[in-house]
Amino acid sequence: MPRFPHVPALVLRAFVIRPVLRRPWRFIITVIGVAVGVASILATWLSSRAAVASMREGAVEIAGRARVEVTQPGGLLESELYRFRPLADRALIAPVIEEFALAPKLKDTIRVLGVDVLLDRKIRELDVIFNPLYAAGNLERALAGAGALVPEPLARELNLEAGGILTIHARSKPVEIPILALLRPRSVASAWNRTIVIDIAYAQEIFGRIGRIDRLELLPRIDNLSIEDAGLEITNLESRAREAAPPGARVGRPNERAEQADRMVQALQFNLTALSGISLIVGSMLVATTLATSVVQRRSIIALLRSLGASNLQIATAVFFEASAIGLLGGALGVVAGVAGARASLAGARTTVASMVPGVPATELYIPWWAAACGVALGLFNSSVAAILPLREAMRTPPLQGLRRERPAFLSKKAWLLASASLVSLCIASYLLALAPALGGLPYAALASSFALLVAVVVVASPALDAAARLGVSRRFITFPMIARAGLAALSAGRSRAAWAAGAVGMAVALAISITTMVGSFRETVFDFVNQTIRSDVWIRPRTASTGVHVGRLDPEIVNIALREFGGDVVDPFHETTAFVRGEPISLCAGEYRVVQRAAGLPFVDGRDPKRVFADAIVNNSIMINEPLSNRFGIRAGDTIEIAVPSGILRKRVEGVFYDYSRSQGMAVLDRAEFLQLYPDDGPREVAFFLNNAVEAPAVRSKLIELLGGKFEVDILLNRELRGQAMEAFDRSFEITKALEIVSRIVAIVAVLTVLFALVDERRHDFALVRALGGSKLQVIGMVFTEGICLGIISVIGGFVFGLLVGVVLVKVINLQSFGWTMRLLPPWTNILSIACSVTFVCGAAALPPAWFAARRAPRELLQDDV
Amino acid sequence: MFKKIALMSLLTIAARGDDWKIVKPSPDLSYPRDHGAHFDHRTEWWYVTGEVAAATGESFGYQFTIFRRGMIAGESRPGESALRPRQVFAGHFAITDIKNSKFTFAERLRRRGAGLADAAEGSMHAFLENWEIIKNDGGPIRVAASDAAAGAMIQMDLDPAKALVAHGSGGYSKKGPEVGNASVYVSFTRCATKGIINLNGREFSVKGESWFDHEFGTSQLGKGVAGWDWFGLRMDDGRELMIYGIRKVGGGYIAESGGTLVDRNGATRVFTKNDFSMEVLETWKSSKTGASYPIRWRVSLPSEKLNFEVRAKVKDCELDSRGTTGVVYWEGPVQSSGDARGSGFMELTGYVESLGGKF
Repeated sequence: MPRFPHVPALVLRAFVIRPVLRRPWRFIITVIGVAVGVASILATWLSSRAAVASMREGAVEIAGRARVEVTQPGGLLESELYRFRPLADRALIAPVIEEFALAPKLKDTIRVLGVDVLLDRKIRELDVIFNPLYAAGNLERALAGAGALVPEPLARELNLEAGGILTIHARSKPVEIPILALLRPRSVASAWNRTIVIDIAYAQEIFGRIGRIDRLELLPRIDNLSIEDAGLEITNLESRAREAAPPGARVGRPNERAEQADRMVQALQFNLTALSGISLIVGSMLVATTLATSVVQRRSIIALLRSLGASNLQIATAVFFEASAIGLLGGALGVVAGVAGARASLAGARTTVASMVPGVPATELYIPWWAAACGVALGLFNSSVAAILPLREAMRTPPLQGLRRERPAFLSKKAWLLASASLVSLCIASYLLALAPALGGLPYAALASSFALLVAVVVVASPALDAAARLGVSRRFITFPMIARAGLAALSAGRSRAAWAAGAVGMAVALAISITTMVGSFRETVFDFVNQTIRSDVWIRPRTASTGVHVGRLDPEIVNIALREFGGDVVDPFHETTAFVRGEPISLCAGEYRVVQRAAGLPFVDGRDPKRVFADAIVNNSIMINEPLSNRFGIRAGDTIEIAVPSGILRKRVEGVFYDYSRSQGMAVLDRAEFLQLYPDDGPREVAFFLNNAVEAPAVRSKLIELLGGKFEVDILLNRELRGQAMEAFDRSFEITKALEIVSRIVAIVAVLTVLFALVDERRHDFALVRALGGSKLQVIGMVFTEGICLGIISVIGGFVFGLLVGVVLVKVINLQSFGWTMRLLPPWTNILSIACSVTFVCGAAALPPAWFAARRAPRELLQDDV
Repeated sequence: MFKKIALMSLLTIAARGDDWKIVKPSPDLSYPRDHGAHFDHRTEWWYVTGEVAAATGESFGYQFTIFRRGMIAGESRPGESALRPRQVFAGHFAITDIKNSKFTFAERLRRRGAGLADAAEGSMHAFLENWEIIKNDGGPIRVAASDAAAGAMIQMDLDPAKALVAHGSGGYSKKGPEVGNASVYVSFTRCATKGIINLNGREFSVKGESWFDHEFGTSQLGKGVAGWDWFGLRMDDGRELMIYGIRKVGGGYIAESGGTLVDRNGATRVFTKNDFSMEVLETWKSSKTGASYPIRWRVSLPSEKLNFEVRAKVKDCELDSRGTTGVVYWEGPVQSSGDARGSGFMELTGYVESLGGKF
C-alpha cells in the first residue's frame, strides 16, 4: 500500500524545494536582488561609520578613564590652570595636547597625543611592549624627553620598530621622533592604531603650543563607588570645574566631544543611509515580484494541495519558507557583499568626512557581529514583508474544483482612476513634505517627500504597462511586427508582476537619475564657485593626506618670510579655529580684508559687489558669515552675531553672507588683525598671494621654493593647479555617492532579470503554443526581447520623470536642510541620457537569457511541464 | 612580554646631567630666604610630622611631605616648554588613627609648572595641587592637604616654640664619605599645633605638637647605603632629640650617622655615630611588601646620659610610595620611655630595596 507523505512535507516539497531545484536561476537572481539591497545599506553604513570612528569612538577611547574635560577654543592657558587646584582633592588633573599630523610615509593623518607621562598611567592604561633598551624606568625618563610610544599596527605599516625614527609633519616642518617603544592597542579597529603618545612638553614644542594646552582631563580619584554615586561624583566634579574654569572655557564629558563631532557628519550619514535604503526597497519589490509570480504559476499546485487537505496555514508556511530562504540567503550574501563594498568605498567615505572634519585619522573597517546579524535580519524582514501580497493571493486560491485559468485583461477604468488619484495624492504629499522644515537638523520630511515620488514610480507602472499593451493591440499599430505586438500584449497578461518589475526598475532608475542630478548640480555649482572665488595667484598650504585634505597648519615663520619678501599688500594668511555660536561649534576664520578686497571674488547671497562689502567691513569693523551659518542660526546681513571666544563674547555686525561649500557647520570670517588679538598665532591653515601682476606667479613660486625649501614641507600651487585640485577634492568627496549610483544600476539589471525570468516561466505554455503553431525560436526570442525593451522604456520614462523630481528635492531641499548651502539645479543631461540608454539596453540584454531559455526548450516539454 | 607603563621609579633614577650644585661645608644660609626652594640642588623636601589629639579623646599622628626632585639641570633652551619636567614634585600625606590603629596614606606626583605644582624660592611656600605648606612672615607654618579617595584631610597651623635648629655644622649635615654626600638640614623641632583633621567624614578639632624639617642636597647618600633609621623625639622634659643612622647594605651604620639634641632653651649639641647605639628589640613584617621593620628599639646616648626605649604606637605605618618617590618606607608615631620619655616620629627606609645612590 503506497504511503502518502506527510502533508506539510508535501507542501514544502511541491511548493518550494522542487520549483527551486527546477528553476534555480530565478531563485538565485531574487536572492541577489535582496543581497544588493542589504549590501548597499550595510556598505554605506559600515564605511561611513569607519570613516568617523576615530573621531567618534576615538574621543572616548583616547580619553581613557577621564570623565570630565575642560576645553577652550584656541587652547587653555597654562597660567589659568591654577584655578583647578582645589579640584585636586577629588580628581586627578591631567593636561593634554591633541594634534593631528601628517605622517608622510603613510600619506595619512595620525593623532599625536601629548600627555603628562609622569601621571598618565592613571588615566590611560597602555600596553607597552617591553623594549630592553628602556628597562626599569628609563622608558619614562626618555619619554619625558623627546620620543614616542607608537602603536604596533602603525609601526608595522611603516615598517618601523622600537629604536627607529618616525617622521611627521608638525606645522609643515618635518619632525623626527625616536620610537621608544611600541604600544599594543587593546581592541580591533582601535583609535589607538593611529595614535602616538609623546610628552606634553614635547608636543607643545613641536606644535608651537607653548603656554597652552588643548584640554584638561579630570579623573575622579574615588574609583570604588556604586554606579549611582559615581554619576553624582562626576556631576559634582563637572559643576566644580565650571566654577573654576576661566571665562570662555567649556566643561563637558569626553563623549560630548564625540557627539559634537558626530553631529558634524550626521546629516551626511543620514542621507547616505537613507539613499542606500532605497536599494533595499527595490530589493523588497523584487522579492514580491518573484513570490507573486511563483504563487500564480503554482496556483494549480496550490489548488491541488488544498484539495488534498492542506490548510491555509500550511500554504502560508510554504510561501513564507520560500521568502525566508530568499531573505536569509540574500541577507547573508548581502553582509558579505556589504563588507566588500564597505572596504571599497571606505577611502571615499573618509575623503567625504575629512572634507567636513579635517584631520580625522583612519581606523580599520570593523564589522561588529550585531551589524552582520542585522544585515541578515534585514534581508529576512525585507523578504517576509514582500511575501505578504503574494501570500494573500495564495490564500485566495480555491481548491481544484473551482480553479479557473487567469485570463489576460486590460486595466479597468476603476483601477485607472484609483491609480490616477494615488499619483496625484503622492505628488501633493511630496510637495507638501518638501516644504516642511528639517527636524533636529535632519531632513526627515524631505526624504519622505522623495520617497513619495519613488512610490509614485511604482503606482504609475501598472497603468503605463496597460497603456503599452493597449497600444500593442491597437489598430493604429497594425503595421508593427507581429512579434513586437505580441510582446507588448504579453505584458498585460502578467501585468501585476510586470508592474512590480517596472516599478522596481523605475525606482532604481529614479534613484540613479536623482543622485546624478544632485552630484552634477553640486559639481557645476562648486565649479562656478571655485572659478569665481579662487583668485589668488600663488597658494601655500601644508602637504595633503591621501584623503586630499591638508593636515595641520603652517608655521607662522612662513608668513613672516612671505611678508618680508613680498610685502603686506600681497600676502593673505588664512587662519581657522573653532568658536561657538549659541553653544554650537563653528569655524572662525580670518584673512587680510585689505588684500582680499583687492581681488575679492566671494559671491554674496544678496548679489552685492564683494569689493564693496569688504570695504564696508573694513570701515565698520564687521564680520562676514557663510550661507550655512546664516541658515543654521537665522542670522542675516545687518544682524549682530555673538561668538564665544576665549576672552568672552565677541559681538559683531554681519556685513554680508557669502556662498560657501566648504564648511557646513558654519563659518565666520574676521579681519586677521582682530583674530590675532583673540587667539594666539598658531600659524595659518594656508597663505594666499594676490599679486599685482599675475604673470609674476611662476617667479614668485620659484622664490618661495627657494626660501622655504628644505625647511618646510608645503605645497606651493599656482592658481590653475589649485582650482584643479579643488575640483579633484570635490570629486573624491562624492565617490561614495557615485557608488550608490552604480548600485542603483546593478539593481535595475537584477530587477529586469528577475522579472523576465519569472514572466517567461509563467508564460511557458504560451511560448509552447506559439512554437507548436509553427513559431520559430527567433520569434519567441523576439517576443521576450520586446517585452524586456518595453519594460525598460516604461521604467526609464517613469524613472526619468520622478528621478528628476527627486533630484530637485535633493538639490533644493535636502542639501539646504542638511548642509545649509544653496545649489543651482543643473542636471547633467549627458549622464542622465547615459543612464536612460544603459538601463534600456540592459533591459533588452537582460531579456535575452530568459528568451533563450524560453526558446531552447521543446514545445512538447513545455506543454507537459506542469505539476 | 607586556609591561604596563609604570613611572614609579622615575624619581629614584639618577637625574640627567652633573650640573647640580652640591652642598658644601659652612653653607651660606639666611632665613626666611632659605625656607624656599633650591632648584639648583637635586633633592629637597619640606617635612612635617606631629601628634595631635581631639577633645573627644582621639589622638592622631600625621605626616605631610612635599618632595622636590630635579630631573634636568641647567638653564632652559630657547623655545623650551615650561612643562618640561626639569623639576618634579611628589607629596606624601598620612594620618595614623592611634586609638584604632589605622593608617591612612595618600600621595601625589606632578611636574613643576602650570600653577599646579611649584615652590617659592625666597620663602616657605611649596604646593602640589591642593596640598600646601606656607609660612608667611611672622605667621605660623600652615599645612593643608586632603584626598577624597583616602577620606583624609588636615589643616594645621604650626607655631614654632623654639628657634630654627641647624643640624650638623651650621646646617651642613654630612651623610656619606664622598664630596657632596651631605645636605642642608634645618628643623623647627617643636611647634605648637592646632587645626582640623577629617578622617572618613568625621571632623576633629585637634591640638598637639609637630616637628618641621627642611632638607636639600644633591647626592646625599653614597653607594653601599641601604637606607636610614631616623627618630625625631620631643621629650617630656622640653628637650628634643633627632637621631639618624645611615645603614650600610651589609648591616651597621656608616660613620656619618649622628644626631642633634636640642635643649629646652634651644641650644643644640651635635653627636656622631660613635656617641650612640641602637638595638632592635622587635620587628613587624608587612603583609603587603614582606618587609620587616624594626618597631621597638633600645637607644643609648651615653654622653647625654640617655638610655631609652622607642616603640611604634601603631605597627602598620608602611607607605608604599612606589607610584611617586619610588620607595617603600615606614613612618609613624612613636613613644619613648626611659631617660628620654616623650613622643615623636620614626622613619625607616631601605627595608624593601636599597636606596643607595638614589637620594
